[in-house]
Amino acid sequence: MKVEEVKAYIESGILELYVLGDVTPAERLEVEAMAVKYPAVKDELAAIEKSLELYAKANELEPDDSRRENILNSLAYNSDESQISGLVNEARVLPIVKAQSNFYKYAFAASLALLIASVIALLNVYGRLKESTNLVASLQNQNHEIASTVSLKDGEIEVLRDPSFKLLKLQGTKISPAAAITVAWSPVKKKVWIDMATAKMPSNDKEHQYQLWALVAGKPVDLGVFDSDTTSRDMKEMKSITLADAFAVTLEKRGGSPTPTMDEMMVIGKF
Amino acid sequence: MSRRHKISLSEEELIAALGKREKIAAEALYDMYSASLFGVISRIVIDTDTAEDVLQDTFVKIWNSFASYSAEKGRLFTWMVNIARNLAIDKIRSKDFKNQNKNQELENNVTFIDEKRNTVYNPELLGIKDLVEKLKPEQKSILDLVYFKGYTHVEAADELGVPLGTIKTRLRMAIVQLRKNFN
Repeated sequence: MKVEEVKAYIESGILELYVLGDVTPAERLEVEAMAVKYPAVKDELAAIEKSLELYAKANELEPDDSRRENILNSLAYNSDESQISGLVNEARVLPIVKAQSNFYKYAFAASLALLIASVIALLNVYGRLKESTNLVASLQNQNHEIASTVSLKDGEIEVLRDPSFKLLKLQGTKISPAAAITVAWSPVKKKVWIDMATAKMPSNDKEHQYQLWALVAGKPVDLGVFDSDTTSRDMKEMKSITLADAFAVTLEKRGGSPTPTMDEMMVIGKF
Repeated sequence: MSRRHKISLSEEELIAALGKREKIAAEALYDMYSASLFGVISRIVIDTDTAEDVLQDTFVKIWNSFASYSAEKGRLFTWMVNIARNLAIDKIRSKDFKNQNKNQELENNVTFIDEKRNTVYNPELLGIKDLVEKLKPEQKSILDLVYFKGYTHVEAADELGVPLGTIKTRLRMAIVQLRKNFN
Protein backbone atom coordinates (compact mmCIF):
# COMPACT_ATOMS: atom_id res chain seq x y z
CA MET A 1 0.00 0.00 0.00
CA LYS A 2 1.29 3.46 -0.92
CA VAL A 3 1.80 6.23 1.63
CA GLU A 4 -1.23 8.11 0.23
CA GLU A 5 -3.41 5.05 0.58
CA VAL A 6 -2.35 4.55 4.19
CA LYS A 7 -3.13 8.23 4.80
CA ALA A 8 -6.55 7.85 3.19
CA TYR A 9 -7.21 4.78 5.36
CA ILE A 10 -6.33 6.80 8.46
CA GLU A 11 -8.55 9.69 7.39
CA SER A 12 -11.52 7.47 6.59
CA GLY A 13 -12.48 7.57 10.27
CA ILE A 14 -12.32 3.77 10.66
CA LEU A 15 -9.62 4.02 13.36
CA GLU A 16 -11.84 6.21 15.57
CA LEU A 17 -14.68 3.73 15.20
CA TYR A 18 -12.28 0.89 16.03
CA VAL A 19 -11.25 2.57 19.28
CA LEU A 20 -14.93 3.15 20.09
CA GLY A 21 -15.62 -0.56 19.51
CA ASP A 22 -18.02 0.35 16.67
CA VAL A 23 -16.65 -1.91 13.90
CA THR A 24 -17.56 -5.30 12.48
CA PRO A 25 -15.30 -8.27 13.34
CA ALA A 26 -13.87 -8.17 9.79
CA GLU A 27 -13.09 -4.45 10.07
CA ARG A 28 -11.48 -5.06 13.45
CA LEU A 29 -9.13 -7.70 12.03
CA GLU A 30 -8.32 -5.38 9.14
CA VAL A 31 -7.42 -2.47 11.47
CA GLU A 32 -5.29 -4.75 13.64
CA ALA A 33 -3.45 -6.09 10.58
CA MET A 34 -2.89 -2.52 9.31
CA ALA A 35 -1.56 -1.44 12.72
CA VAL A 36 0.97 -4.28 12.67
CA LYS A 37 2.02 -3.43 9.11
CA TYR A 38 2.09 0.40 9.17
CA PRO A 39 3.60 2.33 12.10
CA ALA A 40 1.61 5.42 11.02
CA VAL A 41 -1.63 3.51 11.69
CA LYS A 42 -0.36 2.28 15.05
CA ASP A 43 0.66 5.82 16.08
CA GLU A 44 -2.68 7.24 14.96
CA LEU A 45 -4.54 4.61 17.02
CA ALA A 46 -2.42 5.43 20.07
CA ALA A 47 -3.16 9.16 19.70
CA ILE A 48 -6.92 8.53 19.33
CA GLU A 49 -6.95 6.25 22.36
CA LYS A 50 -5.05 8.74 24.47
CA SER A 51 -7.33 11.67 23.60
CA LEU A 52 -10.50 9.67 24.26
CA GLU A 53 -9.07 8.54 27.58
CA LEU A 54 -8.42 12.17 28.49
CA TYR A 55 -11.89 13.11 27.27
CA ALA A 56 -13.34 10.52 29.64
CA LYS A 57 -11.16 11.91 32.41
CA ALA A 58 -12.47 15.43 31.67
CA ASN A 59 -15.99 14.06 32.12
CA GLU A 60 -15.31 11.88 35.13
CA LEU A 61 -17.77 11.37 37.98
CA GLU A 62 -16.91 9.93 41.38
CA PRO A 63 -19.05 6.98 42.42
CA ASP A 64 -20.12 6.92 46.06
CA ASP A 65 -17.20 6.14 48.41
CA SER A 66 -19.05 3.18 49.93
CA ARG A 67 -18.94 1.44 46.53
CA ARG A 68 -15.19 1.02 46.59
CA GLU A 69 -15.21 -1.65 49.31
CA ASN A 70 -18.22 -3.45 47.78
CA ILE A 71 -16.61 -3.62 44.39
CA LEU A 72 -13.17 -4.63 45.66
CA ASN A 73 -14.77 -7.36 47.80
CA SER A 74 -16.67 -8.77 44.83
CA LEU A 75 -13.44 -9.70 43.02
CA ALA A 76 -11.66 -13.05 43.44
CA TYR A 77 -8.03 -12.54 44.32
CA ASN A 78 -5.18 -14.85 43.62
CA SER A 79 -3.80 -14.39 47.12
CA ASP A 80 -6.88 -16.21 48.45
CA GLU A 81 -5.98 -19.29 46.47
CA SER A 82 -2.21 -19.25 46.62
CA GLN A 83 -1.74 -18.99 50.36
CA ILE A 84 -0.86 -22.64 50.83
CA SER A 85 1.93 -22.60 48.30
CA GLY A 86 2.92 -18.99 48.77
CA LEU A 87 2.71 -18.78 52.54
CA VAL A 88 6.18 -17.33 52.96
CA ASN A 89 5.76 -14.80 50.17
CA GLU A 90 2.27 -13.77 51.19
CA ALA A 91 3.28 -13.27 54.79
CA ARG A 92 4.88 -9.95 53.87
CA VAL A 93 1.68 -8.38 52.64
CA LEU A 94 -1.02 -10.10 54.69
CA PRO A 95 -2.23 -8.55 57.93
CA ILE A 96 -0.68 -10.39 60.87
CA VAL A 97 -3.96 -11.61 62.39
CA LYS A 98 -5.17 -13.06 59.14
CA ALA A 99 -1.82 -14.65 58.45
CA GLN A 100 -1.86 -16.34 61.86
CA SER A 101 -5.36 -17.75 61.65
CA ASN A 102 -4.66 -18.94 58.14
CA PHE A 103 -1.33 -20.34 59.22
CA TYR A 104 -2.94 -22.66 61.77
CA LYS A 105 -5.70 -23.62 59.39
CA TYR A 106 -3.25 -24.54 56.67
CA ALA A 107 -0.75 -26.06 59.11
CA PHE A 108 -3.54 -28.33 60.35
CA ALA A 109 -4.54 -29.24 56.82
CA ALA A 110 -0.92 -29.89 55.91
CA SER A 111 -0.39 -32.07 59.02
CA LEU A 112 -3.49 -34.08 58.24
CA ALA A 113 -2.40 -34.58 54.65
CA LEU A 114 1.05 -35.61 55.86
CA LEU A 115 -0.46 -38.08 58.35
CA ILE A 116 -2.62 -39.70 55.67
CA ALA A 117 0.34 -39.89 53.31
CA SER A 118 2.48 -41.46 56.07
CA VAL A 119 -0.12 -44.13 56.88
CA ILE A 120 -0.43 -45.03 53.21
CA ALA A 121 3.36 -45.20 52.88
CA LEU A 122 3.62 -47.32 56.04
CA LEU A 123 1.02 -49.82 54.80
CA ASN A 124 2.82 -49.96 51.51
CA VAL A 125 6.17 -50.66 53.17
CA TYR A 126 4.60 -53.23 55.51
CA GLY A 127 3.17 -55.11 52.52
CA ARG A 128 6.55 -55.17 50.85
CA LEU A 129 8.25 -56.31 54.06
CA LYS A 130 5.84 -59.25 54.30
CA GLU A 131 6.52 -60.15 50.69
CA SER A 132 10.25 -60.01 51.33
CA THR A 133 9.98 -62.18 54.45
CA ASN A 134 8.05 -64.80 52.51
CA LEU A 135 10.60 -64.67 49.78
CA VAL A 136 13.47 -65.10 52.25
CA ALA A 137 11.70 -68.12 53.84
CA SER A 138 11.13 -69.78 50.48
CA LEU A 139 14.73 -69.07 49.46
CA GLN A 140 15.93 -70.62 52.73
CA ASN A 141 13.83 -73.71 52.01
CA GLN A 142 15.27 -73.96 48.54
CA ASN A 143 18.73 -73.46 49.94
CA HIS A 144 18.15 -76.34 52.40
CA GLU A 145 16.90 -78.57 49.63
CA ILE A 146 19.84 -77.74 47.46
CA ALA A 147 22.26 -78.26 50.36
CA SER A 148 20.78 -81.67 51.17
CA THR A 149 20.78 -82.63 47.49
CA VAL A 150 24.41 -81.59 47.25
CA SER A 151 25.42 -83.63 50.30
CA LEU A 152 23.50 -86.59 48.92
CA LYS A 153 25.25 -86.23 45.57
CA ASP A 154 28.56 -85.97 47.43
CA GLY A 155 27.76 -89.30 49.06
CA GLU A 156 26.91 -90.84 45.70
CA ILE A 157 30.13 -89.58 44.14
CA GLU A 158 32.03 -91.01 47.09
CA VAL A 159 30.45 -94.44 46.43
CA LEU A 160 31.52 -94.37 42.79
CA ARG A 161 35.07 -93.23 43.56
CA ASP A 162 35.69 -95.46 46.53
CA PRO A 163 37.40 -98.72 45.33
CA SER A 164 36.18 -100.58 48.45
CA PHE A 165 32.61 -100.44 47.09
CA LYS A 166 31.46 -103.46 45.20
CA LEU A 167 28.60 -103.17 42.72
CA LEU A 168 26.17 -106.07 42.49
CA LYS A 169 23.34 -106.23 40.04
CA LEU A 170 20.33 -108.08 41.50
CA GLN A 171 18.42 -109.93 38.77
CA GLY A 172 14.69 -110.62 38.53
CA THR A 173 13.29 -113.94 39.78
CA LYS A 174 10.62 -116.12 38.20
CA ILE A 175 7.77 -113.99 39.49
CA SER A 176 9.28 -110.78 38.08
CA PRO A 177 11.88 -111.54 35.40
CA ALA A 178 12.12 -107.89 34.29
CA ALA A 179 12.96 -106.52 37.74
CA ALA A 180 16.49 -105.38 38.52
CA ILE A 181 18.31 -103.18 41.02
CA THR A 182 21.97 -102.37 41.66
CA VAL A 183 23.43 -102.60 45.17
CA ALA A 184 26.70 -100.91 46.16
CA TRP A 185 28.34 -102.37 49.28
CA SER A 186 31.54 -101.55 51.06
CA PRO A 187 32.49 -104.15 53.65
CA VAL A 188 35.26 -101.78 54.82
CA LYS A 189 32.95 -98.79 55.35
CA LYS A 190 30.05 -101.06 56.34
CA LYS A 191 27.78 -99.19 53.98
CA VAL A 192 25.05 -100.34 51.61
CA TRP A 193 23.46 -98.15 48.91
CA ILE A 194 20.90 -98.95 46.30
CA ASP A 195 20.81 -97.06 43.01
CA MET A 196 17.28 -95.78 42.46
CA ALA A 197 18.19 -94.24 39.10
CA THR A 198 18.80 -97.63 37.46
CA ALA A 199 16.28 -99.62 39.53
CA LYS A 200 13.58 -101.41 37.53
CA MET A 201 11.13 -102.46 40.20
CA PRO A 202 7.36 -102.83 39.54
CA SER A 203 5.47 -100.11 41.41
CA ASN A 204 4.25 -101.14 44.87
CA ASP A 205 0.90 -100.22 46.44
CA LYS A 206 0.40 -98.30 49.66
CA GLU A 207 0.10 -101.38 51.86
CA HIS A 208 3.37 -102.89 50.66
CA GLN A 209 7.04 -101.91 50.41
CA TYR A 210 10.17 -103.51 49.10
CA GLN A 211 12.61 -104.81 51.70
CA LEU A 212 16.33 -105.37 51.10
CA TRP A 213 17.94 -108.36 52.71
CA ALA A 214 21.51 -109.52 53.06
CA LEU A 215 22.11 -113.24 53.25
CA VAL A 216 24.82 -113.90 55.80
CA ALA A 217 25.74 -117.56 56.19
CA GLY A 218 22.30 -118.56 54.84
CA LYS A 219 20.41 -116.26 57.21
CA PRO A 220 18.52 -113.16 56.02
CA VAL A 221 19.42 -109.82 57.67
CA ASP A 222 17.07 -106.81 57.26
CA LEU A 223 18.69 -103.85 55.48
CA GLY A 224 15.61 -101.55 55.39
CA VAL A 225 12.64 -100.82 53.17
CA PHE A 226 12.11 -98.67 50.08
CA ASP A 227 9.46 -97.79 47.54
CA SER A 228 9.66 -98.14 43.81
CA ASP A 229 10.30 -94.69 42.36
CA THR A 230 10.94 -94.44 38.65
CA THR A 231 11.48 -90.67 38.77
CA SER A 232 14.30 -90.75 41.34
CA ARG A 233 17.85 -90.01 40.19
CA ASP A 234 19.36 -90.70 43.61
CA MET A 235 21.16 -93.43 45.43
CA LYS A 236 19.57 -94.48 48.69
CA GLU A 237 21.63 -95.51 51.70
CA MET A 238 20.38 -98.61 53.51
CA LYS A 239 21.29 -100.18 56.88
CA SER A 240 24.95 -101.18 57.30
CA ILE A 241 26.40 -104.64 57.16
CA THR A 242 29.97 -106.02 57.24
CA LEU A 243 29.42 -109.49 55.80
CA ALA A 244 27.12 -110.69 53.03
CA ASP A 245 27.01 -113.61 50.61
CA ALA A 246 24.06 -112.33 48.65
CA PHE A 247 21.45 -109.56 48.52
CA ALA A 248 17.75 -109.98 47.78
CA VAL A 249 14.62 -107.86 47.67
CA THR A 250 11.21 -109.13 48.70
CA LEU A 251 7.82 -107.46 48.68
CA GLU A 252 6.61 -107.13 52.25
CA LYS A 253 3.86 -105.33 54.14
CA ARG A 254 4.56 -101.62 54.60
CA GLY A 255 7.30 -101.03 57.17
CA GLY A 256 8.96 -104.35 56.55
CA SER A 257 8.84 -107.85 58.07
CA PRO A 258 11.21 -109.53 60.57
CA THR A 259 11.74 -112.41 58.11
CA PRO A 260 11.50 -112.38 54.33
CA THR A 261 8.46 -113.80 52.54
CA MET A 262 10.30 -116.09 50.16
CA ASP A 263 7.33 -116.36 47.74
CA GLU A 264 7.55 -112.65 47.12
CA MET A 265 11.27 -112.48 46.29
CA MET A 266 11.63 -110.07 43.38
CA VAL A 267 15.37 -109.93 42.74
CA ILE A 268 18.48 -111.66 44.01
CA GLY A 269 22.21 -111.39 43.40
CA LYS A 270 25.18 -113.32 44.74
CA PHE A 271 28.88 -112.55 44.93
CA MET B 1 -14.23 13.48 48.74
CA SER B 2 -10.81 11.90 48.45
CA ARG B 3 -9.64 11.68 52.02
CA ARG B 4 -8.10 8.29 51.38
CA HIS B 5 -4.77 8.17 49.64
CA LYS B 6 -5.35 6.86 46.15
CA ILE B 7 -3.16 4.15 44.69
CA SER B 8 -1.62 4.86 41.33
CA LEU B 9 0.62 2.64 39.18
CA SER B 10 2.06 3.00 35.72
CA GLU B 11 0.00 1.24 33.05
CA GLU B 12 2.74 -1.42 32.68
CA GLU B 13 2.88 -2.10 36.43
CA LEU B 14 -0.89 -2.22 36.61
CA ILE B 15 -1.17 -4.67 33.72
CA ALA B 16 1.48 -6.93 35.29
CA ALA B 17 -0.28 -6.87 38.67
CA LEU B 18 -3.68 -7.51 37.03
CA GLY B 19 -2.22 -10.56 35.33
CA LYS B 20 -1.29 -11.93 38.77
CA ARG B 21 -4.76 -11.07 40.17
CA GLU B 22 -3.27 -9.24 43.12
CA LYS B 23 -5.49 -7.16 45.36
CA ILE B 24 -3.23 -4.14 44.95
CA ALA B 25 -4.04 -4.28 41.21
CA ALA B 26 -7.78 -4.09 41.87
CA GLU B 27 -7.29 -1.17 44.27
CA ALA B 28 -5.11 0.71 41.81
CA LEU B 29 -7.51 -0.08 38.96
CA TYR B 30 -10.40 1.31 40.97
CA ASP B 31 -8.60 4.42 42.15
CA MET B 32 -7.21 5.22 38.71
CA TYR B 33 -10.22 4.50 36.51
CA SER B 34 -13.48 4.24 38.47
CA ALA B 35 -14.35 7.93 38.05
CA SER B 36 -13.63 7.94 34.30
CA LEU B 37 -15.62 4.74 33.78
CA PHE B 38 -18.42 5.92 36.05
CA GLY B 39 -18.58 9.16 34.04
CA VAL B 40 -19.27 7.15 30.89
CA ILE B 41 -21.70 4.73 32.58
CA SER B 42 -23.64 7.54 34.29
CA ARG B 43 -24.36 9.28 31.01
CA ILE B 44 -25.96 6.12 29.66
CA VAL B 45 -27.61 4.88 32.88
CA ILE B 46 -29.03 7.95 34.63
CA ASP B 47 -30.10 6.42 37.95
CA THR B 48 -27.09 6.67 40.26
CA ASP B 49 -27.67 3.37 42.13
CA THR B 50 -28.17 1.48 38.88
CA ALA B 51 -25.13 3.17 37.37
CA GLU B 52 -23.08 2.10 40.38
CA ASP B 53 -24.35 -1.47 39.96
CA VAL B 54 -23.18 -1.35 36.35
CA LEU B 55 -19.82 -0.01 37.55
CA GLN B 56 -19.55 -3.04 39.84
CA ASP B 57 -20.46 -5.41 36.98
CA THR B 58 -17.84 -3.63 34.88
CA PHE B 59 -15.08 -4.22 37.41
CA VAL B 60 -16.06 -7.87 37.86
CA LYS B 61 -16.00 -8.36 34.09
CA ILE B 62 -12.68 -6.54 33.69
CA TRP B 63 -11.23 -8.65 36.50
CA ASN B 64 -12.51 -12.00 35.26
CA SER B 65 -11.84 -11.52 31.56
CA PHE B 66 -8.51 -9.76 31.92
CA ALA B 67 -6.79 -12.67 30.16
CA SER B 68 -8.52 -11.59 26.94
CA TYR B 69 -6.93 -8.11 27.08
CA SER B 70 -3.91 -7.68 24.85
CA ALA B 71 -1.67 -4.67 25.45
CA GLU B 72 -0.44 -4.92 21.87
CA LYS B 73 -3.91 -4.15 20.55
CA GLY B 74 -4.45 -0.99 22.56
CA ARG B 75 -4.56 0.87 25.83
CA LEU B 76 -6.06 -0.70 28.91
CA PHE B 77 -8.58 2.10 29.28
CA THR B 78 -9.88 1.65 25.72
CA TRP B 79 -10.60 -1.99 26.47
CA MET B 80 -12.22 -1.18 29.82
CA VAL B 81 -14.39 1.71 28.61
CA ASN B 82 -15.81 -0.49 25.84
CA ILE B 83 -16.75 -3.11 28.46
CA ALA B 84 -18.35 -0.40 30.62
CA ARG B 85 -20.26 1.10 27.69
CA ASN B 86 -21.54 -2.30 26.51
CA LEU B 87 -22.72 -3.30 30.00
CA ALA B 88 -24.43 0.09 30.42
CA ILE B 89 -26.22 -0.26 27.08
CA ASP B 90 -27.23 -3.84 27.92
CA LYS B 91 -28.67 -2.51 31.16
CA ILE B 92 -30.87 0.21 29.62
CA ARG B 93 -32.03 -2.21 26.92
CA SER B 94 -33.02 -4.92 29.42
CA LYS B 95 -36.76 -5.39 29.91
CA ASP B 96 -37.05 -4.72 33.63
CA PHE B 97 -34.99 -1.55 33.30
CA LYS B 98 -37.24 -0.24 30.52
CA ASN B 99 -40.31 -0.86 32.65
CA GLN B 100 -38.88 1.05 35.59
CA ASN B 101 -37.79 3.99 33.54
CA LYS B 102 -40.54 4.51 30.98
CA ASN B 103 -40.84 8.18 31.65
CA GLN B 104 -37.15 8.86 31.69
CA GLU B 105 -36.05 10.80 28.64
CA LEU B 106 -32.48 9.99 27.77
CA GLU B 107 -31.86 12.71 25.24
CA ASN B 108 -30.08 15.30 27.29
CA ASN B 109 -28.23 13.08 29.71
CA VAL B 110 -24.92 14.83 29.56
CA THR B 111 -26.14 18.28 30.48
CA PHE B 112 -28.71 16.78 32.84
CA ILE B 113 -26.01 15.01 34.81
CA ASP B 114 -23.72 17.97 34.88
CA GLU B 115 -26.53 20.14 36.21
CA LYS B 116 -27.77 17.59 38.72
CA ARG B 117 -24.44 16.77 40.33
CA ASN B 118 -21.38 18.76 40.95
CA THR B 119 -18.69 16.90 39.11
CA VAL B 120 -15.47 16.44 41.00
CA TYR B 121 -13.31 19.46 41.43
CA ASN B 122 -9.99 18.39 40.04
CA PRO B 123 -7.45 21.14 39.33
CA GLU B 124 -5.56 18.89 36.89
CA LEU B 125 -8.66 18.75 34.72
CA LEU B 126 -9.50 22.45 34.63
CA GLY B 127 -7.50 22.98 31.45
CA ILE B 128 -8.90 19.89 29.82
CA LYS B 129 -12.47 20.97 30.50
CA ASP B 130 -11.84 24.36 28.97
CA LEU B 131 -10.43 22.72 25.89
CA VAL B 132 -13.38 20.37 25.60
CA GLU B 133 -15.58 23.45 25.47
CA LYS B 134 -13.64 24.53 22.38
CA LEU B 135 -15.17 21.68 20.37
CA LYS B 136 -17.69 22.89 17.80
CA PRO B 137 -21.25 22.06 18.88
CA GLU B 138 -21.76 19.55 16.04
CA GLN B 139 -18.45 17.85 16.98
CA LYS B 140 -19.39 17.65 20.66
CA SER B 141 -22.87 16.27 19.95
CA ILE B 142 -21.58 13.44 17.74
CA LEU B 143 -18.76 12.64 20.16
CA ASP B 144 -21.12 12.54 23.14
CA LEU B 145 -23.68 10.43 21.29
CA VAL B 146 -21.10 7.81 20.35
CA TYR B 147 -18.76 7.98 23.32
CA PHE B 148 -21.13 8.66 26.18
CA LYS B 149 -24.45 7.35 25.04
CA GLY B 150 -23.30 4.24 23.27
CA TYR B 151 -24.79 5.02 19.88
CA THR B 152 -23.20 3.25 16.92
CA HIS B 153 -22.23 5.65 14.17
CA VAL B 154 -25.13 4.28 12.11
CA GLU B 155 -27.59 5.07 14.93
CA ALA B 156 -26.02 8.52 15.35
CA ALA B 157 -26.44 9.27 11.62
CA ASP B 158 -30.08 8.30 11.94
CA GLU B 159 -30.53 10.38 15.10
CA LEU B 160 -28.89 13.49 13.69
CA GLY B 161 -30.29 13.05 10.17
CA VAL B 162 -26.90 13.30 8.43
CA PRO B 163 -25.15 10.90 6.02
CA LEU B 164 -22.85 8.16 7.39
CA GLY B 165 -19.77 9.65 5.75
CA THR B 166 -20.43 12.99 7.42
CA ILE B 167 -20.77 11.27 10.78
CA LYS B 168 -17.41 9.56 10.34
CA THR B 169 -15.73 12.79 9.27
CA ARG B 170 -17.22 14.83 12.12
CA LEU B 171 -16.26 12.18 14.63
CA ARG B 172 -12.72 12.14 13.34
CA MET B 173 -12.53 15.94 13.34
CA ALA B 174 -13.81 16.05 16.92
CA ILE B 175 -11.12 13.68 18.05
CA VAL B 176 -8.44 15.50 16.03
CA GLN B 177 -9.55 18.71 17.78
CA LEU B 178 -9.24 16.98 21.18
CA ARG B 179 -5.75 15.80 20.28
CA LYS B 180 -4.66 19.30 19.38
CA ASN B 181 -5.83 20.50 22.72
CA PHE B 182 -4.46 17.64 24.79
CA ASN B 183 -1.09 17.25 23.19
